[in-house]
Amino acid sequence: MDQNTREELLRLFNSKLNQAMKFYLETCSRCGMCTHACHVHESMPQVKYIAAYRAEIVRRLYKRYFKKQGRIWPWMGESKELGDVALEELYEAAYSCTGCRRCMVYCPHGIDTQMLMSIAKLLLVGANSEPEILTLLADTSIEKGRSIDLLKTSFMQGVKRLEEEVVKKWKTEAGETTIPVDVEGASLLYVALAGAHSIIPAAAVFNAAKENWTLSFFEAVNFGAFVGDPTKTKLILDRIVNEARRLKVKEVCICECGTAYRVMKQLSGKQPFAVSSVTEVHARYIKEGRIQLDRFAFKDPVTYHDPCQIARNAGVIYEARYILNSLADDYREMSPDPKYNWCCGGGGGLVALGDETLDFRMKSAKVKAEQVNDTGAKILSTACENCHTQLSNLNDHYKMDVRVRFLSSMVADALVQPDALS
Amino acid sequence: MSEEIKADKVMDLRGMPCPMPVVKISKGIKEVEIGQVVEAHSTDPGSLTDFPAWARTSGNEILKTEQDGDVIKFFIKRTA
Ligand code: SF4
Ligand code: SF4
Repeated sequence: MDQNTREELLRLFNSKLNQAMKFYLETCSRCGMCTHACHVHESMPQVKYIAAYRAEIVRRLYKRYFKKQGRIWPWMGESKELGDVALEELYEAAYSCTGCRRCMVYCPHGIDTQMLMSIAKLLLVGANSEPEILTLLADTSIEKGRSIDLLKTSFMQGVKRLEEEVVKKWKTEAGETTIPVDVEGASLLYVALAGAHSIIPAAAVFNAAKENWTLSFFEAVNFGAFVGDPTKTKLILDRIVNEARRLKVKEVCICECGTAYRVMKQLSGKQPFAVSSVTEVHARYIKEGRIQLDRFAFKDPVTYHDPCQIARNAGVIYEARYILNSLADDYREMSPDPKYNWCCGGGGGLVALGDETLDFRMKSAKVKAEQVNDTGAKILSTACENCHTQLSNLNDHYKMDVRVRFLSSMVADALVQPDALS
Repeated sequence: MSEEIKADKVMDLRGMPCPMPVVKISKGIKEVEIGQVVEAHSTDPGSLTDFPAWARTSGNEILKTEQDGDVIKFFIKRTA
């Protein structure tokens, strides 16, 4: 690594050193409480998968370049030179961590390993050593923001073709638009993913609740966050913020995508609209009597996987239980306290890396498969696209014999139709 | 009737979870020679905005997009 690259990387490192980060970097007492907290380590017990060990990779660079002792006597203590070997270690640490923050719940100091891994990811971006596909996905999202005016018409035509499927789940009345797009003055902007499965059930439920809604032109997911690039994260986020402001909506509802929800909720700043997850919105509709669900729509035992970014990291826990207890005969908790729920093993961009990470994802999430099996459930519900993909892969790999379902699609399937109501 | 485009590789991306269609096409396009064409099938409305944006970003060219019932067909020429 040449001197210019090193200086640039240290500048990036420095840009992350706020008070919280310095606390995480200076506080670890090596108590070992996080050792068994990480699903990767519990499934594959190797030192490199201990949360504190990952953090140490970043911490040694910090000691070398940002602490007096490391700068004056770099050979003393545990400081480390920033070079190609360090980059390889940073890659291994960051891309074997899903950012689930389960370790943080166990740490007596609340050290946030995911935040420390965000330094590792930023340094990798700075050195052009991040996974290329994640940057391509982020750049594609940014390009879409730039050229959306050219693409709007074909998107609207594509959406129109889904209406028939929506109507099968909930019939719209004469004069109502089944999937409204680009409606100024709508109350709620729904931000979906590219897939039809992310739009059809949600549309049916909005229509059943008589919501004044409109569908976003953009996909909710933020690949800038996966790759750990704050500039790209903001550009991708701003597309939705600007659309919401232009349409003057009161609420932005994020589809079943954990990262999308957490980024929008925690990074969009003060805005004239509220941010909610589709799970929160569905729970609200049930509570307010805006939709009626068949209490016994699902007879088989159901369990729920809390997506880390929605539950542990953003606090949406109760709502999913409220929904499931409104439509399932036999709901079973996976963990006595949802904040200790195991990560599915697919976060942090690992699922987006596809087949490349499949072997690691399966091995590192063995404890998750066991946790699901222990419930005896036949339906495994979740509210995140990444989790759904990873849990489906685990289901095949470990022959778990469950049906993996999106919570929103279960709500749509449980809707009591108007003719049944009358 | 528009001109027939002969594809060198056909990819079925129907019903795939996010972000697999873009991930798969990014890999698939590299499996043909520069100048050759991949025909990608999708059923997702989001691909109508994702694929053109991806093509611009990756420097490839969408020659034609056509609709065949529920299926959206993209004819993409590898140019990068
Ligand atoms: S954030 Fe999750 S994956 Fe990362 S070290 Fe902590 S427990 Fe392990
Ligand atoms: S639990 Fe916290 S203080 Fe203890 S070793 Fe892990 S990171 Fe360090």
